[in-house]
Amino acid sequence: VKSSWRITALVVAVAASALAAVAGTASAAPAAGSASAATTIRVWVHSSMKPATDKVVGQWASSRGVTAEVVLKEFGDIRNDLSKVTADTAPDVIVGAHDWTGELASGGLIVPLSPRSTLKAQFPTTTLNAFSYGTAVKRLYGTPVAVENLGLIVNTALAHVPTSFADLERQALAFKKKKKGNLALAVPGGDAYHMAPFLSGLGGYVFGKTRIGTFDPSDIGLDAPRFLANTPLIDKWNDEGLVSSKVTYDTAKNAFLKKQAAFWITGPWETNTLQDSNLRYRIVKVPAIKYRSGPFLGVQGFMVTKFASQHGVLSLAKDLVSSYLMRASAQKTLAVGAGRFPANSIAAKTVTNPIIKQFGAAGVGSPLMPNISQMAAVWSELAGAWTKSLKGPGATTARTAFTVAARNIANKIG
Amino acid sequence: MSTTAVRTEAPAVAPDVEWGIPSRMIAGFSGTTGLVVKLVLLSLVNAIAGWAAIVLARDGKWIAFFVLLAATVTLDAVYLGKRAVPLKFLVPGTVFLLAFQALPIVYTVNVSFQKYAVGHIITKDEAIHSIEENSLAQPADGKTYVMAPAKDASGKLVLLLVEDQSGDAFVGSPDGLEPLPKDALKLDDTGLITGAQGYGIIGNLASVDRELADYVIPVGGGAAIRPEGFDTALELEPTLRYDAAANTFTRIDDGLVFQDNGRGSFVAANAEELEPGWRTYTGLQNFTAIARDPLIRKPFLRVLAWTVIFATLTVIVSFFVGLFMAIVLDKPGMRFSRLYRGLIFVPFAVPGFLVLLIWAGLLNDDYGVVNNVLHLQIPWLFDPWWAKVSVILVGVWMTVPYFFLVSLGALQSIPNELVEAARVDGAGPLQVFRKITLPLLLVAVTPLLIASFAFNFNDFGKIYLLTGGGPPAEDQSVAGATDILISYTYKLAFEAGKGTDFGLAAALSIVIFLIVATISAGTFWRSRTLEEMR
Repeated sequence: VKSSWRITALVVAVAASALAAVAGTASAAPAAGSASAATTIRVWVHSSMKPATDKVVGQWASSRGVTAEVVLKEFGDIRNDLSKVTADTAPDVIVGAHDWTGELASGGLIVPLSPRSTLKAQFPTTTLNAFSYGTAVKRLYGTPVAVENLGLIVNTALAHVPTSFADLERQALAFKKKKKGNLALAVPGGDAYHMAPFLSGLGGYVFGKTRIGTFDPSDIGLDAPRFLANTPLIDKWNDEGLVSSKVTYDTAKNAFLKKQAAFWITGPWETNTLQDSNLRYRIVKVPAIKYRSGPFLGVQGFMVTKFASQHGVLSLAKDLVSSYLMRASAQKTLAVGAGRFPANSIAAKTVTNPIIKQFGAAGVGSPLMPNISQMAAVWSELAGAWTKSLKGPGATTARTAFTVAARNIANKIG
Repeated sequence: MSTTAVRTEAPAVAPDVEWGIPSRMIAGFSGTTGLVVKLVLLSLVNAIAGWAAIVLARDGKWIAFFVLLAATVTLDAVYLGKRAVPLKFLVPGTVFLLAFQALPIVYTVNVSFQKYAVGHIITKDEAIHSIEENSLAQPADGKTYVMAPAKDASGKLVLLLVEDQSGDAFVGSPDGLEPLPKDALKLDDTGLITGAQGYGIIGNLASVDRELADYVIPVGGGAAIRPEGFDTALELEPTLRYDAAANTFTRIDDGLVFQDNGRGSFVAANAEELEPGWRTYTGLQNFTAIARDPLIRKPFLRVLAWTVIFATLTVIVSFFVGLFMAIVLDKPGMRFSRLYRGLIFVPFAVPGFLVLLIWAGLLNDDYGVVNNVLHLQIPWLFDPWWAKVSVILVGVWMTVPYFFLVSLGALQSIPNELVEAARVDGAGPLQVFRKITLPLLLVAVTPLLIASFAFNFNDFGKIYLLTGGGPPAEDQSVAGATDILISYTYKLAFEAGKGTDFGLAAALSIVIFLIVATISAGTFWRSRTLEEMR
């Protein structure tokens, strides 16, 4: 055993080099072979869109004679990992939310698209604006697929569909008085997203528009005069208990499902919950208050990354995203697969699911959730303003709360 | 396995020697079994290193390549040689120390000197290319075309085009646009080009992808027809021009010049900025930004004071409650003492984030269990003052089991003779506790108190999951009433400006590290002098 350590060294070296050679060729093979082997296009997608994406992208790939690699990713990771991924494993196309557009485009991570005008004509302007971004030139960075927005769910056994906001307020408060534990409106009153209909209904907005029609981070509408003039209504709602920031999302949901609330504000992600609930309900728009009470419109879509050109598949990726996926047939499959209302207006006419249809109708004409990255500065401040002004006794007046929020947001954006 | 190895390989050892487990293990690894294990492990390490070396060499990362090579050779020499016995024990620990402690620190420090944020991710060359591409605009009378890539008679790539409005046919190449007779192109019923006289339409489109990506057909002025995918082309004109020699962008319609500001952006004199920017080293900019930023300066002292109060109270209260419980349950002969100990340990065994989310629900003042069961009307999470109380209470609830366990162990290590001697000298139970038990306990527990303080000082999860830093504080600043330094830092680094700012986050975490390190070092120093005095 003690003969010489040189023998052991030799053994180690030989074993190592053999293993390394195997590993090395295995890792080097795809890199060297990529030019000659079948061209591959890699798509990152989250779970709810995966089956439909597999199908549609697969059909496209076989018609183009290429292979599609559809990779399942956590929704939020698609956005976060795109700035960290190495070129080897990077996607050529991603599925994402429209409010990522500003962050990804201003980072140079996604590339502008120019689909044919005949295809663009099939989409409502809002859904195209959702993926449009630019400080000097407005360009399109994604193909919209599915739209989602909040609606007012009315339990028709407990209340009738309100004819006006005053009617909603009267019915809701009367229902609340009936029994202890009842909620007037089942909505998380401290949540900026779920309170968006009330913001726009009172004439408020988050960001205004620039000259070229993109969101303007220097125009903050939480202290716009026409909105501040209406904020006494928020104080009134707080006094009478119409909305409370102490209600969380789960509290609101449970109250509606247990018939402790006749009105619930939620979105199409609760489609299954509603279907399984054995309740009689209808989904309508939140009635206008002083202005149209539009919820934030969210749009999902496909984007082409900067890696597509590094991989030499830029035209392929654009062919997929700004041509093939814009067509009504692909749009329908994708939106139905996602369980959302289609962005494409031809595909929208074919929707049969009543819940999806009603949610779609409830969102028409609503403002987009801003797609600039400065929105990161807004969420917690806007939520804070609602929380402060709707916390029941001891609440801050809404005028103060929203003025402070607007100032803090401006300071954060800098 | 090790015992058999000991018996067969070490017959020289006297049989009456009682071997400890570590010695047996060491002995076990020095025989043939050990040699085989060593060879397998070492081969594996070498193989992974070899594979990594190939990848590094392929990517041209030569510094990393040579570091790896040197490290592997050293590792082999240490474990195959006979001389460096102490190193054999030191090396694994050192490797892990470097990998999991030193490397993240080096990385953080490195990032803190960079402009690395939303809008500053890619390299400068990529950014220039991206700015050029983003600035392309469709002219007012810009035409759009149905397109098909084809080869002309000489085998060169050309684009066959049909204008959308007029239906006129063209052939385009880098030399320009040439009209074609109307019947030269065959179209299908969707309007796509399916055939052409004198041109071969390309079937394998993927093969011309790279060529198409940069393909432009100049049409006069700066405008050019560019392909979009495989069946569309359109006229686009640049709105910005890059001057590589001067390293500036110029806007074409008004001549506005954008200059490299040295911080990863092209910026004009009127502060207008081109997107995207790029990731670059900016020296101490992130640190000076911290000192200058009014968002940080204004609430800093309030947040720092609350952080210290939060961490101190959580630790001190937990310690005394834990100690009290330990003393109570330390009585010999107490019934069910194991059960009690088990129950006290429960909060420690449940994952922290779960506990926090549950507490957030329990403390809701209208719908939470706490107020409903106790018939209270306390705004636990909605009042700035009560929210602070809630955070500390939950913190204590989560930390008590730890100090209970620690105290239980430490109490048992205090020699009974000391306590008895004090009693004989006439000391009462309180005096014994104050003069004997507590000081002796503190010697053992002080380092743990300091560690726990440092942990709570930076316990982001507790604040983020319980209150999110809220409720809004009375001074109406961005920092909420319960925001501690690290959670406030998160708001600054991930919610301010254009969103995530990795560089600023790294710089802020270094500053926080310095604060914690100073406080901890000071406390350690004081506790050591106390110990020496004793």
